[in-house]
Amino acid sequence: MSAVWRAARAAVRRRRLQTAVIGLVALFATAALVVAVALLDAAHAPFERAFAAQRGAHLTIAFDAEASDEDLAAITEVEHVAAFSGPFDQAVLDVDAEHGDLVPGVAPGPLTVVGRDDPGGPVDRVDLWKGAWADEPGEIVLNTVPDPEAPEGLFPLGLELRFPTGGVFTVVGYAHSLTGTADAWVSADQVAELHPTARQMLYRLDDAETDGRVEAAATAIGRAAGTDSLLAVQSYLTLKEAVASGPGVYVPFLVAFGVLGIAMAVLIVANVVSGAVVSGFRHIGILKTLGFTPRQVVWVYLTMVGIPTMIGSALGAGLGAVAARPLLQDAFSGFGFGDDIAARPWTVVTVMIAVPLVVAVSALVPAARAHRLPAAEAIRAGSSPRRLRGQGVQRRLAGAPLPRSVSLGLGLPAVRPGRTAMTMASIVLAVTTVTFATGLVATVSAYQAASDRTDAYQVAVYASGTGDSIEPELDDAAMEAMLRSMDGVEYVTAGLAGSVTVAGHSENADVVFLRGDSATLGYTLVEGRWIAGPGEVAAPSAVLDDYGLEVGDRVVFASAAERVEFTVVGELLAGGPGPEGFFADWRAAEMLAGGYSNRDGEAQYFVRLDEGTDGEAFAASIEAADPSRDAVVNTADASGVLGIISAAVSLTVMLGAVAALGVFNTVVLNTHERRRDLGTLKSIGMTPRQVVAMTVTSMAALGVVSGVVAIPLGMLTHRLVVPLVAEAARIEVPKALLDVWNPLVLTALALAGAALAVLGALIPARAAARISIAEALRSE
Amino acid sequence: MTDASDAVVRLSGLRKDYGDTLALDDVSLEIHRGEALAIMGPSGSGKSTMLNMIAGLDRPTAGTVVVDGEDLGRLNETGLALFRRHTISMIFQFFNLLDDLTTLDNVALAAQLVGTRASQARRRALELLDELGIADRRDLYPAALSGGERQRAAVARALMNRPALLLADEPTGALDSRAGEQVMDLLIDLNQIGQTLVIVTHDPALATRCATRVVEFSDGRVVREHELERTA
Repeated sequence: MSAVWRAARAAVRRRRLQTAVIGLVALFATAALVVAVALLDAAHAPFERAFAAQRGAHLTIAFDAEASDEDLAAITEVEHVAAFSGPFDQAVLDVDAEHGDLVPGVAPGPLTVVGRDDPGGPVDRVDLWKGAWADEPGEIVLNTVPDPEAPEGLFPLGLELRFPTGGVFTVVGYAHSLTGTADAWVSADQVAELHPTARQMLYRLDDAETDGRVEAAATAIGRAAGTDSLLAVQSYLTLKEAVASGPGVYVPFLVAFGVLGIAMAVLIVANVVSGAVVSGFRHIGILKTLGFTPRQVVWVYLTMVGIPTMIGSALGAGLGAVAARPLLQDAFSGFGFGDDIAARPWTVVTVMIAVPLVVAVSALVPAARAHRLPAAEAIRAGSSPRRLRGQGVQRRLAGAPLPRSVSLGLGLPAVRPGRTAMTMASIVLAVTTVTFATGLVATVSAYQAASDRTDAYQVAVYASGTGDSIEPELDDAAMEAMLRSMDGVEYVTAGLAGSVTVAGHSENADVVFLRGDSATLGYTLVEGRWIAGPGEVAAPSAVLDDYGLEVGDRVVFASAAERVEFTVVGELLAGGPGPEGFFADWRAAEMLAGGYSNRDGEAQYFVRLDEGTDGEAFAASIEAADPSRDAVVNTADASGVLGIISAAVSLTVMLGAVAALGVFNTVVLNTHERRRDLGTLKSIGMTPRQVVAMTVTSMAALGVVSGVVAIPLGMLTHRLVVPLVAEAARIEVPKALLDVWNPLVLTALALAGAALAVLGALIPARAAARISIAEALRSE
Repeated sequence: MTDASDAVVRLSGLRKDYGDTLALDDVSLEIHRGEALAIMGPSGSGKSTMLNMIAGLDRPTAGTVVVDGEDLGRLNETGLALFRRHTISMIFQFFNLLDDLTTLDNVALAAQLVGTRASQARRRALELLDELGIADRRDLYPAALSGGERQRAAVARALMNRPALLLADEPTGALDSRAGEQVMDLLIDLNQIGQTLVIVTHDPALATRCATRVVEFSDGRVVREHELERTA
């Protein structure tokens, strides 16, 4: 092997430029793939690890409060139940607004409190990450996600939490249940005094891989319990889906980018190696004459390609792991997985091995040509006139009314149709990527604009501060009247945020009750219509999905005092501001009564101003009129989609750079092969500028054709992938958000191919213009 | 004998180093309008290097090259390209025709690069091919031509822009004797109608037949110079 190694090393040294191109292609392709695979893996891995560590509950079932310990113990013998915890008594306490925002992890509305004497146990081993467990009467532990970066004092111990219906509790600890089995825990004795409404049982199953298995176990438990005593069932798969939806948004388009990237890497490597074989015919002949066997020649070429590929892949794997980290952090932060969020070693190693393998396979085809080539033919190559392909094309172009340098350039791609096809394919892939990314960014931006609704209202007015806020100067009616009377005001909508229990579900739902010009708030409807009366609700797709609702369905909301039935009349693209939830008429709040009566200072107001009215000045005048209010100008906030946009842009730039490298390589090969012709052309008076024009034209022509071919492919990719992204984000995308193309954008995209080609061709074209004629003609 | 004021080429103190190798060493020479100069010498003596200097294909390490009143040392790459278009033409041992162009398009190319319309360039190319006796080969590609035909096509291309100086580097070196004879006759004919000619050759017969003066090179220096009575 030493002769092979020496010959390969010499070839690498002789072809520094091509070696660098192969290395860079491998680097970029590996980096893109590591990011994609790491995200694919991460969509499940951190959750699974953290869930297993906590022995999370595959099934959380609420039974009737009257169910006895004996009854519940009997239904743990059900098939597939591997372990259980409980029964734990469960009560619902109402948190009023005065306390709600003061305590971390507690929001105004119902608070599910579970009585447990121990955070451990066979199922749902709660992570008590600060303070102590609630052992004594009057102590409470709150369920919050650990935040290692939180400032000291953000999670204070010893705080008093006063419930209008359930006494006073002291916060003695903070714990986190990944399964979300409670909002807070007290001792088992204590919960008995809070009038429990249900008994909670937590189950781990021996097989919980699929919805079907979990549902089968739930059905079996329900059958054993009798349907009357079973109140609600929650599968961990719902939770897992919700957790995966963060990174899940990235996965479809990263996979698309990854596939495009690997396809491009294969094309370019095949092109580079073919070129190395073609331009190295004489070298192959010499090797064979020296006694290299055909197999050794193949090994020389594979080694020559393998060295830069392995170096590029190693560097690319490192780059990909580093690039994946912020994306993963962004996607998973807030789920309480600890610091264990990074590309796992196996993902990095797998890609690092896979890319060189793919490269080796794509190099084998042209290397096999070197295997077959007779030594005499190889040595003879280049020493006599060649019958070239594309002569007919040049003949037709010779008479064309074009500058001769341009017409010569247009004919060049026909000389090497295979190389031209591969170069075009890489430009097609790049422009497909650019088109897809442009569409993705446009759709995401349109979604963001629909979420921000900066056109719908320009100023939002909130109650200022928290518990120690200043007493409001104006009550609700006076505030609305004042807003409506101010200059420049077009519409005013009042909103009241609340939280309700949805019948059949243990999780609370957010509801915003609206009054006034709510139809002008500009929520984009995916289906149905906006609310028109107190018995109707509308909600974003993700919220409806959470509760298994569709337009036309009926849903029961329960406050501590009342149960009211509503009809779902509209599915929205997005909700907000604030947590996504249902929208209902103001009068519904009065129907639910209890904590939702209209209290001064709690309402928020959304104000649409006339065009030309200064939002900042308007907001300042409101705060001056009532210092207890904060008036906030509604500005576009792209932070929610910035991750997708930046990932799409980075990967597009990366793949664009790879395609430009492919063009670069083609021009280097063409120039190398036509060195004598370039010398001849320069010797008869072709100027450096004409050489550049000829060389760049040869690639720009390919770029234009490739751009035109690629646009429909990019549009198709966008049409296929964006709905998958939306599905992962649990959004229904209306057609309008997919139709983001206009003639100006399409023209720019068509030119993107030419721009890429020119970019890739320019440097070698300039090098070609500087070729020494004497050397070029001597090299024959 | 030609008057010194008729000099088309003036080389003075010309020196060319390729790393440690000295290719030309203090060469000074004048070539006169209408002259047919043969440059002879063994391989590596510097004769082709000197031809490249005159054609502006390479730059000297020291000394000046003035061709048709133009100091080539003052020209940038574009200036040199324009100089080659309008003032000189070259013919090579291995013809250097473009394999993907027909004979006619190879010849017309030189004029098209100057900006001459395709139809006009082709008309003139056809006239030249006709004069050189290969008009019937106009639509063939170089691979289909004999060596002599290729060199005639190369000569036709060299004459397209009516150069002041025709430079030939071993023009018969790759041809059989019959084809070589034909090319020699062609060069003599051209010189006789006033074309200034510089021929680099190993072949004493070619020099004797075509040249009016011979300059002999050895180790990068002019070692001998003598005038000839053409034997043709």
